[in-house]
Amino acid sequence: QLEHGYGLPTAARACLSSVSSQDVPTPEKPRAVFHTSESDPAKHTEHHEGRHYSIALEEVKAVFPHGLPYRFQQQIQTFNEACVMVRRPALELFAYLRSSNLAHPAVRYVIYGERGTGKTMTLCHVIHYCSRQGWLVLHIPDAHLWVKNCRELLQSSYNKDRLDQPLQASAWLKNFKISNEHFLREIKTQKKYMWGKRESTEEGRPLGEVVDQGLTRVRSASDAVGVVLKELKQQSHRGSFQLLVAVDGVNALWGRTTLKKEDKSPVSPEELTLVYNLRKMMRNDWTGGAVVTTLSQTGSLFKPSSAYLPQELLGKEGFDALDPFVPILVPNYSPREFESCYGYYLERKWLQHEKARTEDGKAELQFLSGSNPRQLDRLAGPL
Amino acid sequence: LRLIHTTTAVQRRNVGASGPEKYTEAFIKKQIEEFNLGKRHLANMMGEDPETFTQEDIDRAIAYLFPSGLFDKQARPMMKHPTEIFPEQRKIQWGEDGRPFHFLFYTGKQSYYSLMHETYEKLLSAQKYQDQLIAQDLPLQKEKRNLAGSRWLTKIELEEMLLERLSDDDYSRFIQLLQKLVALPCSDIEEKYIQKFSKEVPVQMQKVLIEPLQHDERGVAFSTGEGRRKTASATAVVYDNGTGKMTVNGKDILHYFPVLQDREQLLFPFQFLDRIGKHDTVCTVSGGGRSAQAGAIRLACAKALRSFVTEKEVEFMRQAGLLTVDPRVKERKKPGQEGARRKFTWKKR
Repeated sequence: QLEHGYGLPTAARACLSSVSSQDVPTPEKPRAVFHTSESDPAKHTEHHEGRHYSIALEEVKAVFPHGLPYRFQQQIQTFNEACVMVRRPALELFAYLRSSNLAHPAVRYVIYGERGTGKTMTLCHVIHYCSRQGWLVLHIPDAHLWVKNCRELLQSSYNKDRLDQPLQASAWLKNFKISNEHFLREIKTQKKYMWGKRESTEEGRPLGEVVDQGLTRVRSASDAVGVVLKELKQQSHRGSFQLLVAVDGVNALWGRTTLKKEDKSPVSPEELTLVYNLRKMMRNDWTGGAVVTTLSQTGSLFKPSSAYLPQELLGKEGFDALDPFVPILVPNYSPREFESCYGYYLERKWLQHEKARTEDGKAELQFLSGSNPRQLDRLAGPL
Repeated sequence: LRLIHTTTAVQRRNVGASGPEKYTEAFIKKQIEEFNLGKRHLANMMGEDPETFTQEDIDRAIAYLFPSGLFDKQARPMMKHPTEIFPEQRKIQWGEDGRPFHFLFYTGKQSYYSLMHETYEKLLSAQKYQDQLIAQDLPLQKEKRNLAGSRWLTKIELEEMLLERLSDDDYSRFIQLLQKLVALPCSDIEEKYIQKFSKEVPVQMQKVLIEPLQHDERGVAFSTGEGRRKTASATAVVYDNGTGKMTVNGKDILHYFPVLQDREQLLFPFQFLDRIGKHDTVCTVSGGGRSAQAGAIRLACAKALRSFVTEKEVEFMRQAGLLTVDPRVKERKKPGQEGARRKFTWKKR
């Protein structure tokens, strides 16, 4: 019942384990408790709750060129496989997405929770589900990257008040291209766009050209991003594709920035082209898709570290802009989920300390990490 | 080259330390008379009866008349009998003609050798008594002395008793002789002699009362404990039948103690007793810093857990140091130094 999606490494491991441990009747048995072979998120149900499912590495590169948390990427490299835990908030979201009527305006979902409880991972799970379903995924990995630590700010040619961020925009366009190659060929532009004096994109050209234009002419990358967003919004109601807007750290769009103009006056988010265009996406005046966002305190600026509720992190402006939305709380690990995670680490031989393998060790880990996924990950690292 | 001008300091040779001052008997007697007179004066001053003025009354009076904020009790003003103040010293061991009184004076360690002789005499007498009993076919008395509750005098105590220095070797020989004496069936005489050299070991430090478990409205057993560490004080209430959650001042421990080290400190009492996931705890803490609060809560939890646990485990906890109050506090800054220990930068010139 297992080992369909896995390749040679797993089979070899299974052979080794069967040779080494004769007393275990089925070598795959420990795996079965914490793993499922369902690699399609669409088929995940409550039955699979608490279990890990793995994504093939090529798919990871295609679907998540950016957007996985850094530590998770390191884990993928170490374990040579990407295993994500199925948790209740994600299943809830799947149910909502399945039952949502695409003719209605886009519903906005806000995933919130304490630090390190797995909001970004839930978002990635949802993205994987949608990409399997064939949706067009517009994934902004971390909106905070757009409002801080920006080296170059250009004055926008389109609108004198606004400021461009060529580096961030081009990086995002590159990743967007990787994840949605086939869509970019099919979708056609509906208007003619002028990039500066000489270059222009005609009507009816595939969107891929706009993206390439943004990549080659870095100066107009932010405008290219704006064009892409506008086109997708206008065309999503036609029904030829479903659009998922996934934004991580959406509270960055309505907070403050750490950027300064040349005359040392602070920049407010509206003055950034990228942020302005993204805010337009966030409004629910378009149909044919959904908006899933995450609040993040870790990268947020000028917010206390104990804040995690939407009210606190979004501020009044953001809350009004996103209202109404469906809030989804991501809690710490339940005892069952904790056992599953612990079993996964044990099985991958990540916990080397001999005391970590005992019951007491498990209780100790649970106490010290407080069942917080990030704490557990950090604790298990040195062990 | 001739030295013309010299100072008396240079002329005076380096006088080596001549040892502790020797007090003559007359001096001590005078001190005792002065002490008694002073005692009567003090009693008069305080309005008490001079005849029935005890040492405790003296201490209280002195503490009242000369209040001192010094921490060291030995440094405060005190008025005690001269025998307690001046250390015991040997009187002169020889008479006016220069002849020593004791016959073993020229051995150098007269009291030690005389003691050894005495003990050996007792041993011989015990053996003779034993032989007598065997000759008369009487049953030998076998009274087991309680060796567990007593110990021999230490070398320092023996030195104080004999008023002369001993070497380790001498001391061990004496103890061996005593043990040999004890091994024989002893009679009364030897008991009294041996008691002079043995001391009772205090049974155990004061028995700390362990509070019984209390029950709250839901019927869940709980117990409280208090702890202090370095100006932080904490109270912990440990409930039974829990899931291992801990709340501090209303917040979860993960929020209140972001540092792993503090959480490990909190974990320690439960881990020691293997009860990690069994108790719920609610704590309140104030004062101190991050580490001090963690230590205070740890002590409070350990004290609360005593009620849930057998006496043997309480003893284990005590030996593990979970129940001892940490006496370390911030050391005082001294004048002339930058901190408690750090001196100012030393400049050569």
